[in-house]
Order: sequence, then C-alpha cells, then structure tokens
Amino acid sequence: MAFLTPLFLLGLAGLAVPVIIHLIQRERKNVVQFPSLMFLQRIPYQSVQRRRIRNWPLLLLRLAALALIVAAFARPFFRREVVAAAGAGGAREVVILIDKSYSMGYGDRWARATAAARDAIGQIGPSDRASVVFFASGPEVALRSTPDRSRLNAAVSSGKPGSGATRYGPALKLAGSLASESSLPRREVILISDFQRVGWQGAEGVRLPDGVSLIAKPIAEGDTSNLSVTPVSLQRATFSEQDRVTVTGGVTNHSNGAASNVELTLEIDGRAVQTEHVSVEPNSSASVAFAPFTPGAKNTRGTVRIAADKLPLDNAFNFTVSPKEPLRIIIAERPGAARDVSLYLSRALALGESPPFDISTKSIDAISTDDLQRASVVILNDAPVAQLTAERLGAFVARGGGLLVALGSRATWPAATGASDILAAVPGQPIDRTSGQAARLGALEYGNKIFEPFRAPRSGDFSGARFYSYRAVTPAKDAQIIARFDDGAAALVERRVGNGRVLVWTSSLDLQGNDLPLKAVFLPFVHRMVTTLASYTERPSWLTVGDVLEAGRTAPVPGAPRQIQPRVVLTPSGERVTLDGEGPDVLELTEQGFYEVRAQGHDAAPPMTVASNIDLSESDLTPMDPRELAAGVLGRAGGAAPAGTNVVTTDQDHERNQRVWWYLLFAGVVILGLETLVGNQISRSGPVQV
Amino acid sequence: MLTTSSIPGARFVDPVVLSRIGNLELVARHVVDGFINGMHRSPYFGASVDFAEHRGYVAGDDIRRVDWRLYARTDRFYIKEYEADTNSNFSVLLDVSKSMGFGSRGITKLEYAKMLAGCLTYLVHKQRDRVGLVAFDSDIVQHVPPSAKHMDVVLHVLDKLSPQAPGSLRAPLHKMAEHFGRRGLLVLISDLYEDPDAVLEAVGPLRFRGNDIIVFHLLDPAELDFTFDTPSAFEDLESGVQIPVVPDKLAEQYRSLVRAHIDGLQERFSANRIDYTVVNTSSALDHALFSYLTTRERLTRVR
Repeated sequence: MAFLTPLFLLGLAGLAVPVIIHLIQRERKNVVQFPSLMFLQRIPYQSVQRRRIRNWPLLLLRLAALALIVAAFARPFFRREVVAAAGAGGAREVVILIDKSYSMGYGDRWARATAAARDAIGQIGPSDRASVVFFASGPEVALRSTPDRSRLNAAVSSGKPGSGATRYGPALKLAGSLASESSLPRREVILISDFQRVGWQGAEGVRLPDGVSLIAKPIAEGDTSNLSVTPVSLQRATFSEQDRVTVTGGVTNHSNGAASNVELTLEIDGRAVQTEHVSVEPNSSASVAFAPFTPGAKNTRGTVRIAADKLPLDNAFNFTVSPKEPLRIIIAERPGAARDVSLYLSRALALGESPPFDISTKSIDAISTDDLQRASVVILNDAPVAQLTAERLGAFVARGGGLLVALGSRATWPAATGASDILAAVPGQPIDRTSGQAARLGALEYGNKIFEPFRAPRSGDFSGARFYSYRAVTPAKDAQIIARFDDGAAALVERRVGNGRVLVWTSSLDLQGNDLPLKAVFLPFVHRMVTTLASYTERPSWLTVGDVLEAGRTAPVPGAPRQIQPRVVLTPSGERVTLDGEGPDVLELTEQGFYEVRAQGHDAAPPMTVASNIDLSESDLTPMDPRELAAGVLGRAGGAAPAGTNVVTTDQDHERNQRVWWYLLFAGVVILGLETLVGNQISRSGPVQV
Repeated sequence: MLTTSSIPGARFVDPVVLSRIGNLELVARHVVDGFINGMHRSPYFGASVDFAEHRGYVAGDDIRRVDWRLYARTDRFYIKEYEADTNSNFSVLLDVSKSMGFGSRGITKLEYAKMLAGCLTYLVHKQRDRVGLVAFDSDIVQHVPPSAKHMDVVLHVLDKLSPQAPGSLRAPLHKMAEHFGRRGLLVLISDLYEDPDAVLEAVGPLRFRGNDIIVFHLLDPAELDFTFDTPSAFEDLESGVQIPVVPDKLAEQYRSLVRAHIDGLQERFSANRIDYTVVNTSSALDHALFSYLTTRERLTRVR
C-alpha cells in the first residue's frame, strides 16, 4: 500500500493533541495565583495522579478517529497488477511493437526482445489477433492483424537490428491506429524495447486511443558500457599547392567507468594509415587529431574506427573527402579592351577558397567551344557578342553552364533567335546619372539565392553604392528581376535556360559606371553570382541514416521532353537500387557504410560515393522509466508494475485501487459520533476526565 | 468588627475593616491613639540634650564649647560633648513587589503593610522624630527623605502605592545603604521571599552603617497555613510560572519549609542584632506596633 498525498500523514502528529489536552486539562481549569513558588518548587513532586489517563476507551476513540481521518486524507492506494487475463473480457487485438534500432544490437538484447515477442505471441488465444511492427526512427509493419501464431513468429524472426535510431512517437502512432481499426473488444499495444531515453522527447503529441492499453516490456540490462566514435572534423589547408586534410576523430565513453588506451584508427580507402590511443573519463569524450593527408582522388573514403565492443555499429565513423575542384570561369572582354577592365572582377574571384576559382581572361572572339566545355561560368564583361558566339553560349547555358552578362556602355547582343535567345534582358539605351543624384540599388530580392546571405541586418549594405550609368533593359518573359535601382529600372535580371542560368547586370563591374567594386559587398556579391550560376553546392562529407540521397537527377527543361538519366545506387550491403524515374526519385539511407551512385550503364566509371553514418545519439544507452512513456502516451500516470510486465491500468482500475480512503473517512466519522455519545455519557455521570 | 488585643484594655480594629476606611491618617490616628491609651506607660521616651562627656581640645574646635570651669581647675582645654539630637531619623522601607499584592482574606499584604507603615509613621511623628519612606520592588520606586515635615507626604505616597513589578531585596537595599547618610531607625516591611542568607546579605549594608533595623515579615494566612485543597496550577505572581500542585500532598512539606524559612531568618537576624517580627496579616496591627515600641525601648535602654 502506498499513499497519494503522504504529506497528510504529518497530521498523525495531531494524535498527541488529545493526549496532551487530557493531561493538562485540569491544570488549566483552576489557576491559583500565589505570591511565590519558592517553597513549592523545592518540593520534589511528580504529578502522577494528573498524568494518569483515567478513561482509556474515550481517549482511544478520539485517537482512532483522528488517525482514520488523517489516513483518509493521505489517500492510500493499493498497487495491484492488473494483468489482462485471457478470455476475461473478450478477444484481444494485440499490436507487438519491436524496437529494432541499432542499440538493440547491444549484447543479447535482440535475442531477448524476440523471446519476449514470442512469449507475447504465445499468450494469444484462438479468438485474438496480433500484428507485428518493427520500428526504429520509423515504424514498419511486418505482419498485420492475424491470429496465426506461426506467421507471427516468422514475422518476428524476419527482423534484425538496423542502423536507425529509436523514435517511439511514430511507432506508437501507428500502433494506435492499428489498434483502433480493430473491432475486437480489448486492444493492447505491447512495446518491446530497451527504452532509451533519447527515443522519447516527451512532447510528441502521441496519444493512444481510449480503450487501448500499453504493456511495456523493457529488455535492457541494468548496467551498460559503450564506446562510440564521435563525428569527425575535417580541416583543410593548402601546402605546397596540395590540398591537405586533417582529420580529428573522437571517442565518447557512455559508461560510469573510465576507458583507457582506446585505440583509434584512421582508415583511408580501407587501409589503416594511422593509429592513436586516447583515454576517456566516464561519461565524457576525448579527441585526437591525425596527421594530415592529401586526398588522391575524388570521393576518397575515410573511416575512423575503434575496437569493437558490445555495440559494434557505433565504433566506426565514415566520411568522404575529395580534392578541391576549382570553378573554371572565363572572363570575356571586348577586343582591345584596357588591361585593367576586369581588374576588380578578377581580384575578387582570386580570393575564393570555398570553392576556389580558376579564372581565365579572354577576348570574346577567342572563346572556343573547348573553352566552353571546360568552363562552369562565363562572364561577359562589357563585351559585344557576335551571332556565332551567342549561339555557342546558348548551347553552353543549356548544358548547365552559367552566363553573367555585365552591360557596360559597349555591350551588345545579336538579335535573339533560336539558340542565342538566352539573354535574361535585352539591353537598351544607356542611362546617364552623372548629373543630379546618382542611382542606388533600391529593391533587392532577398529570397533569391544570390541575395540570401545579405538578408539579415548588417550583413551587407548595397545602398551605399552609387551608379552613374546603366543600361535600360527589356527583361525576357520568363526572366526575374532580382535587383532594381531606385528609379525602378532593373539592375540584375535572372533567367533559367535549360540546365543553366543567365544573369544580366545592367551596369559595369568596374568603376566605369559605378563604385560598387569599392564597397565591401562587392566580393561576396560576385562570389554569390558565380556560385549560383555554376549551381555549386558543397557536398557534405557524410550523411546520417534516415537522410535522403538525391542521386543528381536532371532538372526538366521548360518546353523540352523530360530527360531521364537513370542512376544505380549500390548500398553498403551490396544491394543495387535503380533510380530510373519510374520509382522514387530519391533513396533513403538505411545502412551504415558507403553508398555508390553511378549512371546506369557506366559501371566502369568512378562512382559518386556517399558516406552514411548512424545517428550517434542512439549510442547513449541511458534507459528511461517505461511508466513515463506510458503516462505520456495514455495521458495519465500508470501504476507501478513489476519490471518486465509494466501494466498500464485503466481509470476504473485506478479508482478501484484508491477507493479505500472513502471507507477510512466513513469509519473516522462514525467513531467521532461514537466518541460524542461516550463523552456525553461520561459527562452525565461526572466530570469528563480521561 | 472589633477584636480584643492581647494587651489588656486595648481594643483594636480588624485590618480588613480598617482597609475600608481609605484614609491612612485617620487609620493611623485611630490605631495609634487607641494603642497608646491602652498602655500603662507613656510611650513618649522624650528627647534629651544631656551632657555626655569631655574630650581634649583639638585645633578647629569651637571655642564656645570649651569648658572654662574645667580649664580653671585643670589648666587644660576640654570640650563638653552632649548627647546627639534624640529626634532621630525614621524610615519605612516598604516592599511593593507584586508578591505583596497577594491576599486571601480581603486585604492584601501591601494594604496591610501600608497601614502598618502609616501607623508607625504617625507614632514616630508624634515622638517628633523625622519620618521618611522608601518604597521598592526590584528598584527604588518612591523615596520620601526623612523630615519632621514629611508626615503628610509619607501618608500620601503610601496611599498611592500599588504592586507593579517583581521584587528583589539586594539591589534596592544596597542602593539605600549608600543613600542614608545619617544613622536612624529603619523599618523593613516585606514578605522576604528570598533565601535567609540572601536577605541578610541584602540588609547587611544598612546595618553596617549603624542603622537600627526592625524587620516586619508580612505573610498572609494562606502563605503560612497553606489551606488550599483543590489540585490546581499555582502561578507565581511575580514570574508568572505555573506548576501543578496537589495541596493535599504538599501542604505539610510546604508548612515545614515556611517554618524553616522563618526560623532561618530569625536566627540570622538575631545574630546580627536585627529585630525580626513575623506579621500575619489576619492579626490586628497592635502586634506590630507593640513589637516596634518594645524594640525602641530596648534601644533606648541600651544607649
């Protein structure tokens, strides 16, 4: 028996009150004032007579009444295990949720989980039905509502611990919907898990429907110890024109004992290149930096690994690293242009690190098809374009290249026909703002990728730049004006053509038409324009299980038939998955290791490699109290139940277990009444003395 | 109510009745005159300026006091010395502590003490002595310096006194000892609720300065006989402390303790030549007055 409000038991101290009152009552009745107690205090005296309780029954009645009322207010309740007896309330619909997160691979947890599941299946009666659902970060129905025990057992056998992290919310939602679909009178969800704390955030809005009970079966052992590799840190540096990468790996110790001399090995392309040793304090981490190495080829695979323990999956961390590939940029100038016409532009691009820019400055007439094949972005810096060049540039953009056209006073573009119709805006007459107030950039489209970094306050001030001349332009129909001058004229116009982009900057990129190159925003502005045109995105060195792998599909070209480039993905377990446009366009990572992505039919070509790692939060094996989860899911506190069979009881059960306070209160009131009768009886026969 | 005194021919009034008169002077006059009339001898011992002795002249003596006749006979200078003024200082030291506010028979100890003090003062005043009063509890509450003209003041102050605070003897009596520069007759009226040794230690300095001391130990009949019969909580009038008391079990022990206390006081006062009289507030005032006069007489004879 326990108490809901045990603080009320302090009221039992009140039991002393009647006793004290009885003992001192007569003294207070008659007080004699006396000049001095000098002599009386010298007389050794024990007031035995007064302290003797003369009416024990009356005192006991009072004490009993007080004790009962105090006990009633303390709300005693009995902990009863309400195990649903088979057949006691009709047929059952049972949903067996089995945790298959990778922490279930710790020791023999999985064996005990499947044993618990089979035990639950064994208790299913002939009229009962059961479903088997595996879950990690998401649920997966292995078998839906069947009374067939052999099929259920087979479904349990088909599961194994995966690479995912535990998330109870989605699994319980699915279990609730499966249970609510059933028409059977009793519905239960049996949750078999190691009940990791990280899997339950507490406020996930998951609520099992009314009438569905949750039986938690924790299979975690008491004391656990686990070492896991932390995510690596990659630091790049250029040394002797070589790209050097320093890998810093770490170890986290999820146990109460120190781990000493843990061996940490760096593997590059499957070959161990360096081994370090670290010691880790209890429940803390330690890291070590390996010697820098130079990635020899694209998608060089790296792994930091420690010796296997009871949970081997978190003992390795994969990553890929590639040599830095500069973006090739051609700056095209008009023939006979001054040497410093592209000075500010080339200086700004020379400072690029991520990515670096490979700049070549050419005359517009000297740009060949080969040049365009290798380039990512072409910048026409106030250059007149001939028809042939325009057509080449059109093809270049359609392939995915980027074109930035800076309209100085001399820039021209041939009449747009066919392949050359790529320009975002047709240049018109120059507008001179040298007299009067110079123009300023007014409205910027901060939603555009180019201006996105400048959205936050104090992140770049374009309003300080003054523009003395620019070209009036007529934007193309499908172009978007992403920057305007203060008079409303377009300053920067963007147009997507094929797989590429075209930007038209209506002023110059030197000091001829404006002083923007002297402003601090010039360098990031140019970098953003170039990287946007090149569709450059920095690839992460690794992904996490549960992330989605986009296999580099081609964007559809407006007006053109949908181009499909099927890709083949080779998973770490050796499974081949083809993304050919008929199935899903993306692939969710489910395994730890390296995924290889190739274009279909190009098996010999070097693949794009993606490193996949498990969610390391799962490495923390700290368990939670299943009752906490039950309370959150059922919206009420569950009673304590023995480990292994935590039974969440219903409201009626709770009420039944706590009903005893009514009886206590009633008994207390009855005894008080009896005490009144006895007291009156005694007072009639003489003074009330106890 | 009239009662008969132990003194033949004397008629004294019950203190309870006297307390209702309210005018101390009237009470004092009534009691004292009645008392004097009932005695065979005159109470007036009379003041004298008789010759006492000769002593050798020393420089600075008033030459008017030189006995020239003796000079003529002896050819030496002698100074004539006389008895000091016989109208001595008389002060009542009255305990007005809270315990004095106790009374079980219609009159409190303080009321009795005030009447007693008034009577004594009146009597002494009639003898042309200087009268004064010091009222005290744990400190001196009222002080009327001895003077032949202070009779009315003493009676007035006596009338206004009431028990206010817990009392003690040592501090106020020591303070008085420092104050009384001139020897005199001091009458201490108190219930003496302190250890006999402590009482003597408190009175000692007064005695050492040459004062004649008469102690009236005032006790209520209830204090002496402890006639309570109901078990009760007894509360100390001064400290407020309560203790449970079953009188049946304690009375005998209490009485023996009180007797021992009185005997202890008697013994110590006697040893120090201090007159000590236990006064039961149920008895008439004559007993106390008689005690005073016999003492006064004894002192006169000794001198």
